[in-house]
Amino acid sequence: MPTPLSEALATLRRRHGEAVIRSGDALGGVEAWPTGLPVLDHRLTPGGLPVGRVSLLAAAPGASGRLTLLQALVAIASRERTAVYLDLVGSLDPGFLADLGADLSALLVVRPPSGRWGEGFSMARSLVMAGAPWLAVALDSRSDLGWEHRLSTLVESVAAHRAVCLVSAAAPLPPALGYASSLTLECVADGWEEAHGDVLGLRTRLTVVKSKVSMPGETAALLLRYPRPFAAAEAVGRPAVVDLTATRKVLDVPAVASDIPAVAGWVLPASSVPASPTSPWSPPGAAIPSCAPSP
Amino acid sequence: MIVGGAPELRLPVLAASTAARASGVRPGQPLREAQQRCPGAAFVAADEAAVAHLREELLSRLNRLAPLVEVGDEVAWGDLTGRHAAHPDSTGWAVAVARCIQELLDDDDIAVGVASSRQVAEIAARQAGPRHIRRVAPGEEAAFLAPLPLSVLPLDQVVAARLAALGLDCVGAVANLSAADLQRQFGPMGMDLWHQTRGGDGREEWRPGHGLGIPDPLRQLGERMVLEGGTGDLEALRFAVHRSALDLGDRLRRHGCRAAAVTLVCELEDAEPSGLRIIPLQPPGSGAELWPVALELLAGLALTAPVTAVRLEVEGLRPGAGRQVDLWRGGDAAGEEIGGAASRLRARFGRTAVRSVELTVDPGDLPERRFRWTDPVAADAGGEGHGSRVPGVPTGLTSAGGTSEGSRGRAPEHRQAAPASGIPVAAMPLLRR
Repeated sequence: MPTPLSEALATLRRRHGEAVIRSGDALGGVEAWPTGLPVLDHRLTPGGLPVGRVSLLAAAPGASGRLTLLQALVAIASRERTAVYLDLVGSLDPGFLADLGADLSALLVVRPPSGRWGEGFSMARSLVMAGAPWLAVALDSRSDLGWEHRLSTLVESVAAHRAVCLVSAAAPLPPALGYASSLTLECVADGWEEAHGDVLGLRTRLTVVKSKVSMPGETAALLLRYPRPFAAAEAVGRPAVVDLTATRKVLDVPAVASDIPAVAGWVLPASSVPASPTSPWSPPGAAIPSCAPSP
Repeated sequence: MIVGGAPELRLPVLAASTAARASGVRPGQPLREAQQRCPGAAFVAADEAAVAHLREELLSRLNRLAPLVEVGDEVAWGDLTGRHAAHPDSTGWAVAVARCIQELLDDDDIAVGVASSRQVAEIAARQAGPRHIRRVAPGEEAAFLAPLPLSVLPLDQVVAARLAALGLDCVGAVANLSAADLQRQFGPMGMDLWHQTRGGDGREEWRPGHGLGIPDPLRQLGERMVLEGGTGDLEALRFAVHRSALDLGDRLRRHGCRAAAVTLVCELEDAEPSGLRIIPLQPPGSGAELWPVALELLAGLALTAPVTAVRLEVEGLRPGAGRQVDLWRGGDAAGEEIGGAASRLRARFGRTAVRSVELTVDPGDLPERRFRWTDPVAADAGGEGHGSRVPGVPTGLTSAGGTSEGSRGRAPEHRQAAPASGIPVAAMPLLRR
């Protein structure tokens, strides 16, 4: 016996076509862009970064590795497609990107003359609407006014054109930015990686604090290796991003994250609470001064 | 009538009458094929000596009217660039040329086409028909060609078959493809086709090495609305600009074009006109897209006297996107779109707004010398005048012309702005019965 609902559905399908109403499971999952980094693709963000969504790399002000990780991902993206880097920090070093393996010929660097976020978002939107498939946005800690609606139009364009958008921002996060993000990864510095008195890289802890595409709460420790521009033999064949969690398992070292500074307003899930108060890589007192816990 | 000889001979068709052409007969076809296509045609042998004599006589007469003249089998071309003392406009000049031919050949079935390229002039003459003149204004070539069937262009048979298989049956449908699409599909012939559908003469226009960055002739459209007396009422101005934007947007949509730059000029009472030009982030292709841009321009104008007329003009017209043939996109075509967007951003925000990077060959010791900033590849820039905002009246635009001076009222006037540099050419089919 037809119900009012089934009659209404039949009417809508008759007037507007079969495709206008579909069940939720017919919509399919979220497409993902594989980063090529196992720690991201297999553990933190299954499949890779979501396509058509905005992903966010967030950290407290200071050295955290978020910009290095962002640029490492830009380097990977530029090797297979056109990448746009919206530089609102004004600190992009193309030489560093080249050392990370970026194909500079496939990279467009956008710097709005006024430095305003809103203008930058408009410019980025224009490129996304033209078909730019990969957008990286580096935001500084100071935000201006009147950019929220331009961010929303950028998010719409990213969704409409199936682009990958990765934003790097410093805490405290503006509410509009946190709301627009489908995937938020928190970067927390764990200490410098040193050998023979030289700094080789930065250890950082990456936590999924918000995810609309997978389960949040996953944590991983990374080593962001700094490439050495004038020692090519050192850099060749060595990945810029190393998953320390896997190394730890091999060495049978207990997983710890005692010195993870909490970012204001974020609560880590119970599964990621550290099991041990000590860290094998970052002894107390060796923490990076600029990476102090936020209040 | 078909000129070339008896159909049994293995010779090509030299010329064909309009009726024979309607049956599919073309110069260069074998006579046997021409007979199959048009069985009722009368086949006439060409008198080589008479043709040569006539051609020389025609050349000598036409040289008195035009400095550069070329006479073909059934078409003659003349270069009408500049001005003639006795014929102030190109149409009258072309009529004089046609009369000259008419007197010599004693033939009334002469058609004249005036356009900025040889091919468009010839097509215009054939479209006009006997004893008619068809003038295609500079910048309107693509619009003129758009509704015509692809058979008006000298296409390779394979290319024509593939385009037909894709459902592209008119020139406008092909004109909406990007150069990269056509080049990828058809190679150099695709580039020829790309030029021809936009009113060019094909490969002669572009030089090897220019790749896809071939500059198009500047094309522009405009609307001028004369207000009833001078007014300073912002609502009235807003209404006028809105109406102009919608009308101009309709024209853009009909042409299937997007505009790279928009100019708003307010003509003031007893004062110099005040205008602004802007390169929109998203090229408008309809009234709904043009209206916010025009409103932004209106808000930026500093009006010091009552406004007597409003002019809204668009420049740098490019074919719009979003057609079915976007299925071909990918690779270079996508890069072309991104390059075009980057060019627009640089035109609006300055050269340093969007840049590419490349590593230097000899970096030296300093890290900052390892790379240098470069300009991204420009696919479609906003035409001339790449300043972000150019106050005042653009120098390349003229007033609405004589037709607008006497008319008063709210009705918008469609007009063609000052033509880009082009060479008016007359083409006259010289068919003799």
